[in-house]
Amino acid sequence: MATREVGSEGGDGALTEQFVAEWRNAAYNCYSSGHKFCREVCPVMQVTRDEAHTPTAFHANVVAMEQGHLSIEDVARDYVHCTQCGACELRCPNTLFTGDFYRFRTRTVDLVKAVRALAVESGVHQPGWQRWNELTDERKNEPVLNGTPVSQEHVADWADGLGLPVGGETVLFCDCEAAFYRTSLPRAVARILQAAGVEFGLMREQWCCGGPAAEMGYVDQARRFAEHNVADWRAVGAKRILVLDPHDYISFTEDYPRFFGDDYDFEIVLVVELVAELLREGKLTLSAPVDRVATYHDACRLNKRKGIYEAPREILRAIPGLTFKDVDHVTQWSYCSGAGAGLSIERPDLTAEISRRRVERAKRLEVDTLVSACVWSERPLSEQGESQDVEVVDLMELVAQAAGLEL
Amino acid sequence: MIGFRLAAQRPPDPERITDTVVMRFEHIYEVDPNLMTEHTPQQSFPAWDTLRIVDSRWEHLAWMHDHFADSVVSGEELLREIEGEEGEEA
Amino acid sequence: MPTVTLSDALLDELVQICGEEHVFAGAAARFNRARVPSPFPVHRWDEFVPDAVVLPTSAEQISEVVKLANRERVPVVPRAGGTGLTDGAVPLRHGIMVDVKLMNRILELDLEDRTVTVQPGINMLKLSEELKPHGFIYPDNPASYPCSLVGGRIGTSGWSLIGGRYGHTRDLVISFELVLPTGEIVRVGDGGGPKVRKSSSGYQLKHLFMGHQGTLGIVTEATLELVKRPEAEFSAFYAYPSYLDAWRATGDFARSGAATLAGVVLFDEWKLAYLRRDDEAYIPQPESVKAVVALALYGNDDEVRASAKRMLRLGKASGGTYLGDEISQGDWASRHDRYATPLHGRTRDGQVVPMSWHCEDASILYSQLPAVREKWHAIAAGLRERFDMFDDWGMFAYTNGAFKPWGDYLTEIDIGIWEMQWDDESWAAWVDAKREIARVALEHGGSISACHGSCREGEVDLVPEELGGGFEVMKAVKRALDPNNVMNPGKYLLDRAYEEDAP
Repeated sequence: MATREVGSEGGDGALTEQFVAEWRNAAYNCYSSGHKFCREVCPVMQVTRDEAHTPTAFHANVVAMEQGHLSIEDVARDYVHCTQCGACELRCPNTLFTGDFYRFRTRTVDLVKAVRALAVESGVHQPGWQRWNELTDERKNEPVLNGTPVSQEHVADWADGLGLPVGGETVLFCDCEAAFYRTSLPRAVARILQAAGVEFGLMREQWCCGGPAAEMGYVDQARRFAEHNVADWRAVGAKRILVLDPHDYISFTEDYPRFFGDDYDFEIVLVVELVAELLREGKLTLSAPVDRVATYHDACRLNKRKGIYEAPREILRAIPGLTFKDVDHVTQWSYCSGAGAGLSIERPDLTAEISRRRVERAKRLEVDTLVSACVWSERPLSEQGESQDVEVVDLMELVAQAAGLEL
Repeated sequence: MIGFRLAAQRPPDPERITDTVVMRFEHIYEVDPNLMTEHTPQQSFPAWDTLRIVDSRWEHLAWMHDHFADSVVSGEELLREIEGEEGEEA
Repeated sequence: MPTVTLSDALLDELVQICGEEHVFAGAAARFNRARVPSPFPVHRWDEFVPDAVVLPTSAEQISEVVKLANRERVPVVPRAGGTGLTDGAVPLRHGIMVDVKLMNRILELDLEDRTVTVQPGINMLKLSEELKPHGFIYPDNPASYPCSLVGGRIGTSGWSLIGGRYGHTRDLVISFELVLPTGEIVRVGDGGGPKVRKSSSGYQLKHLFMGHQGTLGIVTEATLELVKRPEAEFSAFYAYPSYLDAWRATGDFARSGAATLAGVVLFDEWKLAYLRRDDEAYIPQPESVKAVVALALYGNDDEVRASAKRMLRLGKASGGTYLGDEISQGDWASRHDRYATPLHGRTRDGQVVPMSWHCEDASILYSQLPAVREKWHAIAAGLRERFDMFDDWGMFAYTNGAFKPWGDYLTEIDIGIWEMQWDDESWAAWVDAKREIARVALEHGGSISACHGSCREGEVDLVPEELGGGFEVMKAVKRALDPNNVMNPGKYLLDRAYEEDAP
């Protein structure tokens, strides 16, 4: 604050110039639009109400950088305020109404990642993210920070006693939060797949998918981790990767194809979609009643970024005994847990408030359970659920219960 | 098919609809790519993304109708009713 | 490069009033509150940045900020959504920006007397989502419905796409509290208590404090009409072989007397050509389609069905071709989204460029629409001829009156502007063109603006002419209420109120 010159040139001018050249068309496309429909669907903006945290500002900053008014130092901190949920870019008329027509859509998520990368390359770090990525680099998995020792020795501890092989044509990739924190999720998934007769193994050495590093701007690290995982998949003969976390699903279907191009020939299968199919085909039956009144929290990366909202609902409707009070997935474009893209590391207060509001919306439906299909959402939502008397469970945990499976 | 395969994401070749419009997927129009060569180059667009946008658009429009009223009255249905009434009068 | 002109001491006082976390003086916070979606001279961005931004949380805080501004003679610029299409929320003299977005709570829902009282930073779509479980809607429905805010709607005296049925902002806002330019907090309405809809007590101050573009104060609370959610919606789109056929049909629909009629809109052939560029509904339409008329009805199911049949009979009698349910329903539901996507823009050789959307929004009498249309298109053609950065995106005319939608029309010519190309010469030509467009509106007995406000560069020069003696009254009011000219100075030529021979 206080009095100072604006437009001070800092960082590496050449890096900024290159960045601006790449993004100026997209930036003007947003800048020129009369719409700001991104705003009220943005989970962060709904809380801070700060125009500097809007997708409009995220794009306008590029124009201002081109005009010499702002530098990466001026704007880097603002870009922390994004969960990369994708609501803004989907709700933008430049995506929703003309994105397919012009093959040119609003890409706020990519822009936020690019600005964060520019900041890192320019030496502007957010302390929490820097530490998180250093620890991840050191341990090869995310420091999920709950006292569980995070290291390669323990990456498959969650699977103790399940008798899962290493390798095979189908490999289950277990997200860091699931492997070290909410282990009930991967255990439920493994039990369900075993019960349905799906053969699968684990990786030899599973590193973090690299997605969080990419989301926070640590691009080189993201790529190194991707290269490791793909090499591991190839080494064990994997052709099909099962994914239980929406964030990993984004990494494997968006980041990895960009890294590896046409050589990237794996089939990536989302466990939620697979389980819906197994139910449809009768390979899995749910017969143990689940006596709960529940609503479903659309995982942002499935609903907003991939258009996947039907499979989880199909599963919920197949669970006996469950009273399912749905909120449609378009309304949920403006819902979020606030957990994504490192917001919970740099602004835990905002994550908590976004989660509180999400749970409050569930509570108004008079439910006792909020079902999620995104493991990263489940920790902040659970924390808020405790004080509002709403239990947060993962969809697969519920399926395992309905299938009568012991975890 | 539920899995993602990169090779399946390449969109079909376009067919021409008008002087300035082409089509790759059934009923989904696109700008003639030649109009986006000088100032605004097109982005790389996997098939899933095009289809997601189109589906989302229709879902959004349905949501908007529902936001403003409990039901939508069909003009085609009423026109048939009017024809019937006129037939009776004749 | 501009420097922050507020002293540290003044910033400290703002922090004491609003709290540290609600005062911003950083470059990004200020540059991102310089503009609104109306055409903006990007090459002169730094002339329009505020010196500091505050996000207050109460009327008392705003009052204190305004009093401080008076003491220090610093401009205050109110900002709600910042989505307006005139320059109300753009600081012309830097100063303190009072951004009300954090004040977005619902304060009271009165189901008995049917009002909802809100803070000014709430958005209408979000408000209606909250009202839906109770069977109500807040039908103030501009194209910016998903993002504009109640406070800005009052400051601009906004216009609603379904105003024919439910009224415009002025008809839906019952009363409001505001901070006057000298810092006093007052409540204005028709008279009586905050929920009284019609009163004859005293001056009708509600209208005075609407549409002032932030020059007469800052709204801090508003009591709004609670409207029963419509049971039914009906929309119909008709094609016509000529503009004049469509114009006559528009008049027929608008004068039908149906109480459920929310609006009738007439698209001309330039607009059709523009829609054919990228709108899936219009790409396959035959060349014989030269104009389109759309209409929408809302209300109880039985009433809507009866009115809809009347409209369908009128449509047939007027020689129109019903475009089918898919277009009629889909295009109506996309009314907020469809018409301002920048890639509609084309250079003269047909290449796609991102253009901002500028719309002139005059009120024009029904009888004058055909003549105004020709003159406006000629002005747009002149711009495009000189600079390959302007594009004529066509015209529409939309029924304008609330509840009696047949006399005058919100008449827009939409002009695409490739803003990456601005320089002083093209900006000056643009301002001249705007003045000419406004002049045509006045020559035909209209008003410069039906909904956005007329304080943008160019057109504002003609406001004294439009208002005549009324402008003298405006100046007298401004000087009486804002003796130090701190409230959004520079707007609407109101600096003239402070010249020596001013009234």
